[in-house]
Amino acid sequence: MAEHDLTQTIIPYLDRHLAFPLLTHLAETTLFPVEQIIKAQYELTNGTNMVDYSVNLFEQLNPDAEVPAEFAKKRDKVVSTNDRLEQEAQTVLEIIENPEVAQALRQDKRQNLQYLKDHFGLTLEQITVLYNFGQFQYTCGNYSGAADYLYHFRVLSTDADLNLSAHWGKLASDILIGKWEMALEELNSLREAIDSRTISLASTLSGPGGEVASALTQLQSRTWLLHWSLFVYFNHPEGRTLLLETFLSPTYLNTIQTSCPWILRYLTVAAIVSRKASATLSGRLRHAIREVVKVIQMEEYQYMDPVTSFLKELYVEFDFEGAQRELTKAEQIVGDDFFLGNFSEEFLDNARYLISEAYCRIHQRIDIADLSERLNLSREDGEKWIVNLIRDTRMGADARIDLEKNVIEINRPALPVYQTVIENTRGLAFRTQAIGAAMGKAGQTEVVENGNGEAH
Amino acid sequence: MSRFLRTAGSDDSSLESESADDDESDSDGDAAQPQKKVSRSRRDQEDESEDEDDVKRIAIDNALKINHWVAISNEFDKLVRLAQRQTNVAERIPDSISDSLNNAMAKEKEAKKKMNLSNSRAFNGTKQKMKKINKEYEADIKHFQEDPEGFEHEYAAAVAEPAVDVEEEGDEGGDFTSVGKGGKALGFTPDSVFKNLQTVQESCGKKNTDRVVQNNILERLLEVANTSYQRIRVLLALISSRFNYNSSVSTHMPISLWLASQREVDQLVAIVMGDPSYSGQEITEDYDEFVECSLADEKDGVVRIRGSIISFVDRLDDEFTKSLQNIDPHGTEYVDRLKDDKGLYESICQAQAFYEKTNQLDPLARVIMRHLEHIYSKPDAVIQALEQTATQSKLVPSTTPATQGSSSSLIHSLSVSLYKSDNSFLCTRAMLCHIYHHALANEFYVARDMLLMSHLQESVHAADVATQILYNRTVVQLGICAFRKGLIREAQSTLQDIFTAQQVKELLAQGVHQQRYQTLTPEQEKADRQRQLPFHMHINTELLEAAFLVSGMLVEIPLLASIDNKELKRKAISKPFRRLLDFADRQVFTGPPETTRDHIMQASKALQDGEWEKCRDLIQSIKIWSLMPGGAQSVKDMLARRIQEEGLRTYLFTYALYYSTLSLSLLSRTFSLSAGTVTSTVSKMIWNEELAASLDQSSGVVVFHRVEVMHVQQLAQSLADKLGTMMEQNEKGLDLKLGGGSAWADRTDGTKQEKRTSDQAGERRRTGEQWGGTASRGGTRGGRGARFAQGLGNQMGQAKRHKGQERE
Repeated sequence: MAEHDLTQTIIPYLDRHLAFPLLTHLAETTLFPVEQIIKAQYELTNGTNMVDYSVNLFEQLNPDAEVPAEFAKKRDKVVSTNDRLEQEAQTVLEIIENPEVAQALRQDKRQNLQYLKDHFGLTLEQITVLYNFGQFQYTCGNYSGAADYLYHFRVLSTDADLNLSAHWGKLASDILIGKWEMALEELNSLREAIDSRTISLASTLSGPGGEVASALTQLQSRTWLLHWSLFVYFNHPEGRTLLLETFLSPTYLNTIQTSCPWILRYLTVAAIVSRKASATLSGRLRHAIREVVKVIQMEEYQYMDPVTSFLKELYVEFDFEGAQRELTKAEQIVGDDFFLGNFSEEFLDNARYLISEAYCRIHQRIDIADLSERLNLSREDGEKWIVNLIRDTRMGADARIDLEKNVIEINRPALPVYQTVIENTRGLAFRTQAIGAAMGKAGQTEVVENGNGEAH
Repeated sequence: MSRFLRTAGSDDSSLESESADDDESDSDGDAAQPQKKVSRSRRDQEDESEDEDDVKRIAIDNALKINHWVAISNEFDKLVRLAQRQTNVAERIPDSISDSLNNAMAKEKEAKKKMNLSNSRAFNGTKQKMKKINKEYEADIKHFQEDPEGFEHEYAAAVAEPAVDVEEEGDEGGDFTSVGKGGKALGFTPDSVFKNLQTVQESCGKKNTDRVVQNNILERLLEVANTSYQRIRVLLALISSRFNYNSSVSTHMPISLWLASQREVDQLVAIVMGDPSYSGQEITEDYDEFVECSLADEKDGVVRIRGSIISFVDRLDDEFTKSLQNIDPHGTEYVDRLKDDKGLYESICQAQAFYEKTNQLDPLARVIMRHLEHIYSKPDAVIQALEQTATQSKLVPSTTPATQGSSSSLIHSLSVSLYKSDNSFLCTRAMLCHIYHHALANEFYVARDMLLMSHLQESVHAADVATQILYNRTVVQLGICAFRKGLIREAQSTLQDIFTAQQVKELLAQGVHQQRYQTLTPEQEKADRQRQLPFHMHINTELLEAAFLVSGMLVEIPLLASIDNKELKRKAISKPFRRLLDFADRQVFTGPPETTRDHIMQASKALQDGEWEKCRDLIQSIKIWSLMPGGAQSVKDMLARRIQEEGLRTYLFTYALYYSTLSLSLLSRTFSLSAGTVTSTVSKMIWNEELAASLDQSSGVVVFHRVEVMHVQQLAQSLADKLGTMMEQNEKGLDLKLGGGSAWADRTDGTKQEKRTSDQAGERRRTGEQWGGTASRGGTRGGRGARFAQGLGNQMGQAKRHKGQERE
């Protein structure tokens, strides 16, 4: 199953520190030899300031060898830098944490800066120290401290680039301490920052080169965001629905298609898993799965794994045997995956449901034994499953089990014509309104632009 | 007559008509005397004069025989004049004349009485002249008469000596005396190279300038030139003079001239390559034309010479194309000409190597473009062969398969180097060539993604016509590629736009379309003809049509069948196909199929009737498949499979009305499909609500549910459908206006989820719009599949419309 493991594909898009949990997880799954993984971890730590951890790993790798002296040197250096930065940061923190100051601070960052400068002599350089210290803490593995400093820095700083960087740092720290609520907030604001950032960039960097470059950076940061958000979405209780929402929005769907089609696996699993959760969102379920199927079909030539081909077999080829085959494989993959591991039960359940739903919609009379086999269940379990299915779902009224012949009979009366008409025309009014609104807006911006043009 | 006269004659024809007229009036009778017009170097003249005095003597002898003294007199005059001009061989002439005159004297007495007036006057005149001449050369004649053989001997020695002298002088590049126009003497020495060059350049473009002579002078100058600087200067002048040889645009450059100039371009590149201290540049500071430039004079050790190699290469390539356009593609001449492609390719590669070495970005981009255009539409084997000859030469550009591997990576590296250049025009063309090559190599998805991501379809209608043609070619190639890969729908929608206009040939620049309603002005026609592609680059239109119609059949026939089912008129997907089908339906008698179209029409009918085997046989018997690049058999197999499936679908649509159940095994037997495929096809139809039916697993049948629809209900349904389409049209319209593609997809997305909070929806809409405003690379790729079908179509339409407007 190692060939379907995505860890290696994903790691290049993650921060050094975020890769650790992935590697630790890999060590548990026994897909790869433990030595290799430890070695990989060791190499990862070399780029950070987590000297103790690094030494630890080194000892694991070479139990007999002496720990090289450079570790000690590095450690000293780290400690001294830490002290220096801490002192510098302390002064700033003291000022900021002063309740009087906290009250005086307003929305406007520039004003705040002015205020701090006037009253406490706090300069921009000193604030940047916060950022440096936060970053340093992060590289040392002290994530909660890093999160704090970066938060304060962001509140005060006006430097867009550093701010964005601080954003990323804060998100990573939140993820690593496991504060999912905060991480989610951070994720959303970061997303907004990325989306809005390009506009300002594109407008400042006029000319084709600048536009292309900014578009590229945007694509890149979106790709990163997609990967990082996996941590949040698969750990936050509401995560899967939110994931669907984000990933299925055209911008991010395009990003997936362009630069990282393997994310489709997570999208697929999320769509399948959140089937029930999204029952409250009515037509949303079918919609999400259908969308996903479309994308899978489109990207088939680029990316394919049992999870995606399960949906494809089911909804494109209608090959139930094939779907069942793929499901068995997919189950294993989902179980081994770092992000999806916790959802393998749910995934299986919902996948079964999808199979049986599709099956029932197409067939009129179904052999129970056959269906159970399709679902990878024993006969008894299968029967129980089907009964549950009939009870739970809307098709309850139309389906009956005939135990004598061991079949399920499904009667599906054709949809009345008036209902199809209603179905078709639903939302027309809303869409028209949307058009109207958009036109109005377009007109306004045009007017504004014209006005600007005249002003110039 | 002599060689001399012949060349003289051909000179006349290329001169201005005025002087030709003069000429003709001068040369009455049998004696043409063009020599005063022709400037010759002395060496040439020497060779020729021997011929010439032979000729003259023969003429005199002949005239003697018939006692035509007027002619004798004329010839004699000329002979004398000749003798005076060439002192070296002079001895010979009077003696030969006196020789013949002695004979004449003998006859003269008896003939005298019969002579008419003019003859006798001429005779007397000749006698007078004879006496005079004889006096002048008395000694020689005496000598000759005493010892004819000894004289001959001496003469031979005398002639041989100066000949050797001349030879030597020629090697030194020395003492050339040539009679220029108006009798001016031109001396070709290394010192006078620049002066001569100047003279040539000044006379260039003037009336009465003989281009052949100019070329010859320059050629000679080239031989004489002994420094790199001189050679470069002369070569530059010579090549442009060769290109100027042809004044009218419609015909192409003579092939021999082309070959010569190709050689010279090579030579030029080699010189410049070998000697880095000289460089040809389009813009330089003024320099003294007459002075030999030395390195010491220049600031940075590089001598800059005005002249551009890239424009020569461009011109060379253009002339090559032009000649191919004008040669009959079915003759051997065409093939012979095509062989020169190799040499040209080599030249281009060398020029590329040169520019790579000197790091001149702009010309480098242009020459790479030429390179790319030479290979993008060729199959692998040809490219490899070309590359091999190119690598054999000394100068190798950095991008060759030797270091790169395959031809597609060569094209890739060429294109990538063009993408990096900031010339957007070349960038576009390179992109199209790259896509074309991908399509040719059967990489449909790669090619499609590149085409869509390039957003060319949005801007191509503003491009120049050549780029539009390239775009059309690329799209068509993509369509064929999709067809080969069995992606029938994609093939159909890609080819659709080219075919709806019914001007396939014109859009691909493979033939001039007969305009029925508007007449073209001659200029337009000429421009049109200039745009035509040479034959070997054509995409076979018949194959194209076959692919298009067959995919049309596979898409349209099941659709037609389902329409009858629902008694609804639906929009035809492929109008050209539908039109042909209707036409075929109206025909009372149908003979055996002859053309490709006949085959496809009859196959469509067979498919409609559920006779998939007949349909398959008809389609497979189309001969044009053999021209499909990549093998006909795979295409035929693919088509057979498709026909089976579509046959099944058509059958179900058509006959569902008449059955309440149908056994799956029967279906699988009838269509020779596996039970699994049949089930999957039927399931798909049920799931997509195309077929009101369900499967009965235990008995293995399809159960049809018939729903009777009342007229009013039907009307209501179609009304609802129409509302939906109208809505979509509006949205699309707004899309176009706002410029962003998927801002709308997003919005409709939002509307489908009514339960979402308005806040969320608002946020979403906002991001949607922001996104729509920026043209980001990752962004605007939205809804690829749909875009491919529609976006491409719209834009292609626009491109064509644009072309149309241009024409008007």
